[in-house]
Amino acid sequence: MFCDEALDAVEAIAAGEITPDGRIADHLATCPNCATALVAARQLERVLQRRGTPAPPAQFTARTLARVRRARWRRDQFVDVGFNVAIVVLVVAVFGGVWMLLNRTGLTAVSSDAVDLFGVGLVTLVRRVAPSLPLYAGAAALLASALGVWWWAERDVTL
Amino acid sequence: MEAVSERELVERCRSGDETAFQELVDRYKGLVFALIARTVQDRSRAEDLAQDVFLRVHRGLPYFRGEARLSTWIYRIVANVCVHDAGRPVAVSLDDEQAARRPPPSASDRQFGDFELRDRLEKAIARLPAHYRFLIAAHYLEGVRYEDLAAALDLPLGTVKTQLYRAKQQLRRSLETDLR
Repeated sequence: MFCDEALDAVEAIAAGEITPDGRIADHLATCPNCATALVAARQLERVLQRRGTPAPPAQFTARTLARVRRARWRRDQFVDVGFNVAIVVLVVAVFGGVWMLLNRTGLTAVSSDAVDLFGVGLVTLVRRVAPSLPLYAGAAALLASALGVWWWAERDVTL
Repeated sequence: MEAVSERELVERCRSGDETAFQELVDRYKGLVFALIARTVQDRSRAEDLAQDVFLRVHRGLPYFRGEARLSTWIYRIVANVCVHDAGRPVAVSLDDEQAARRPPPSASDRQFGDFELRDRLEKAIARLPAHYRFLIAAHYLEGVRYEDLAAALDLPLGTVKTQLYRAKQQLRRSLETDLR
């Protein structure tokens, strides 16, 4: 019975964390089994303290940072793909919804009339503007040249 | 002083400063690698797991509230990684059984005896449950205190000590003939 108590304490005694009190000290002095266990525990303690400390490989930091970068890139890609899929789903839902709305409410006929009207309006606009096109093209060219000169004057020359 | 620089380092890492994260890896890699290599006892696997630890640190830094020390948080991640890895099937060498039946080394060849004892010790440690292995690995590393382990494992200090004594008791029993 008392051996159990002493054997439970030998690891702590071997580690120097407790000092055997009178009763345990007496028992350890008289019980060969417990004394042997204490010797073994002390030797184990010494071997454990002398256990080597493995050092990381030379390229450990570089390899770890590369892995972190790869993981971050993969995570970003995942977020990008998720965002794109969400946008596609949203667009399909909006167009599908509008199409269903037009079909169910009979607005398709009205909308085709509206498209025809828009087409006729566009053609009329082009016919009216066509004679003045060279003038507009000249003005646009002048504006582009002015912008080009301004950009050239303001560009960063320190490079 | 160290706590302040630790906080600064964490803040710099959080703001996306890669050199700060490199500094963090350099500061803790020795401890993390030694702890894992001693626990899993396979260098290439240890490197892989040590990288996993830093990957988790990188992912977790935005959520690190700074209530515990950075090192305590890292120990906790290491403990989780090691215990999780223990679930993997491990190849058992037939040499283990043969080594257990070998006679103890003679006193005339002390160096060889020490070498063989260390070898048997590593094998005996490998047979311990994962959390005992981690405790044995961490306790004998310089600078790791009982308090750090208790905080990392979220256990009372007394429980950590008791578990460590039990781990050593198991080791002593499995090495009984070698330690005499």
